[in-house]
Amino acid sequence: MRRRVLAFSFSIACAASVAAQTGAVHRSYDTAFLGAPLADPVLQHAKETFVLFGCAYCHGLDLVSRGEATDLMHSALVGRDENGSRIAPLLRAGIPQTAKLSPMPQFSDLSDQQIGALVTWIHYARQQGRYKELTATPVRAGDAAAGKTSFDGACRSCHTPDGDLAGVARKYDAASLRAAILDPKALKVQRSFAADRLHDTKLASAQQRHHALLENYSLDEVANLVAYLQASASRQ
Amino acid sequence: MNATRRDFGRAVLAGLGGIAALACGRSAGAQTHPGPNRSFINGVQFGLQPFCYHDLPMTRENRGELIRRLVRNGMGMVELHATWVEPRFNVPGVSAAAARDKLREWRLAPPQGYYQGVRKELDTAGVSAFTYYVNFDDSYTDAEIDATFDGAKILGARGCVGSFGLAVSNRLVPFPGRHGMFVGLHNHDNLSDPDAYASEASMVKGLSMSPDFRMMLDTRHFTAANGDCVGFLERHHDRVAGLHVGDRRRNNGRSTPFGEGDAPIIELLRMIRDNRWPIVALLEFEHGTLRPEVEEVDLMFDYCKRAVA
Repeated sequence: MRRRVLAFSFSIACAASVAAQTGAVHRSYDTAFLGAPLADPVLQHAKETFVLFGCAYCHGLDLVSRGEATDLMHSALVGRDENGSRIAPLLRAGIPQTAKLSPMPQFSDLSDQQIGALVTWIHYARQQGRYKELTATPVRAGDAAAGKTSFDGACRSCHTPDGDLAGVARKYDAASLRAAILDPKALKVQRSFAADRLHDTKLASAQQRHHALLENYSLDEVANLVAYLQASASRQ
Repeated sequence: MNATRRDFGRAVLAGLGGIAALACGRSAGAQTHPGPNRSFINGVQFGLQPFCYHDLPMTRENRGELIRRLVRNGMGMVELHATWVEPRFNVPGVSAAAARDKLREWRLAPPQGYYQGVRKELDTAGVSAFTYYVNFDDSYTDAEIDATFDGAKILGARGCVGSFGLAVSNRLVPFPGRHGMFVGLHNHDNLSDPDAYASEASMVKGLSMSPDFRMMLDTRHFTAANGDCVGFLERHHDRVAGLHVGDRRRNNGRSTPFGEGDAPIIELLRMIRDNRWPIVALLEFEHGTLRPEVEEVDLMFDYCKRAVA
């Protein structure tokens, strides 16, 4: 009988102990701060990595910086970065020499994969933010001549206004045309990991090119491109 | 495993302890008039720097939620940033200079009984303001500094703390003494700025300016600046009012959850416990988490409780 009492007491003790432990260590997900999970698991992982290593608390999850942290939404260095070419070395070294209160820490202990995830999120969040900024106001009147210069420099290697883009400016109004320039529908697809397409870089390089432009356009540049395409359409 | 009868007895007691802890945890959140020092644990007074609630903007409109979270986390002491108390004037349409002037005007003539009202909110929840966090700078007039100390004192704070350097500290020398309070010097880790509190030498230099100056030693930043936290406490504990307890890696490394970085948190807390030093341990962390911040504070607080158990 005494053994049974002891065994019963022991089981209660164990249950209470486990309950106390599970009660203290929740594994819930802070959707209020992180938002709903993204459909693309690569981006979701990148976002979580950005939060887990503390970047979001200073630079803002959506790159609206808090306090004295660098504004990554408008940073020239981020704008020039290609696949971490500039961001990764900076993350590994930090910025110990600074006039700010707290220097940017170094993240030399992170793996290449983790650094890559941080870079992915920074660019994705910047693209989302820049798109909002560039489409927040009605399309202003642009300079078609300046637009041609921009087009020749950034677009003509792949596009021509009287070739693949013929009719585009007639099909869309100014606001839709601007949206199509900033975020082409044809590029809104996830990269395939099918073995026969694993090394097909055409889509990836097109996405990267357009995303880089989106991250660096000014309002005037976009207005000028719209004006140029509209002017080209009217001549056709 | 051969368990003795004594082992079984211990297990039962441990289990009952767990039940009691759960019950206490539930009632702590529901109590409206809990006693002071809710977070005084085994000789160490804990508190929170609510910057840990990264998702909660530090505004007076959110002060009620802040207090609810502090109670939920079992905190009886807080370092209250002025923005939790003061109105914000930097709104769209108002220039930064105009907003600064309006804030000064407000500080010099706050509404009658305003600070007393905030103090009542804290008292009702059983939360004490240990320190009032104000980033004094050159834009403060002498009258404004005095008014800030006056307000902080009504709130129950024992000192005003801020992120300023040696030059501003020098200007603050005459103020804390006439209010019966201290100025808390808060270190960061900028070793490249000769005005900043980052090295032990810079902190000693600041403390030497006035007997009314105390260190609020930030263990995260001091560790990142390759400082010796244990040695600092050993040498200067009588000039340390509190710690900002958090973890980072050395060599300007990143913030980490407690126990994953290089800050000697357990050693520091046990030094306070074993020497009975009246040094307040304010939890403050900057590491990332996917959990709600209240849960993360719970986890970090549990780590500290185990350190002094």
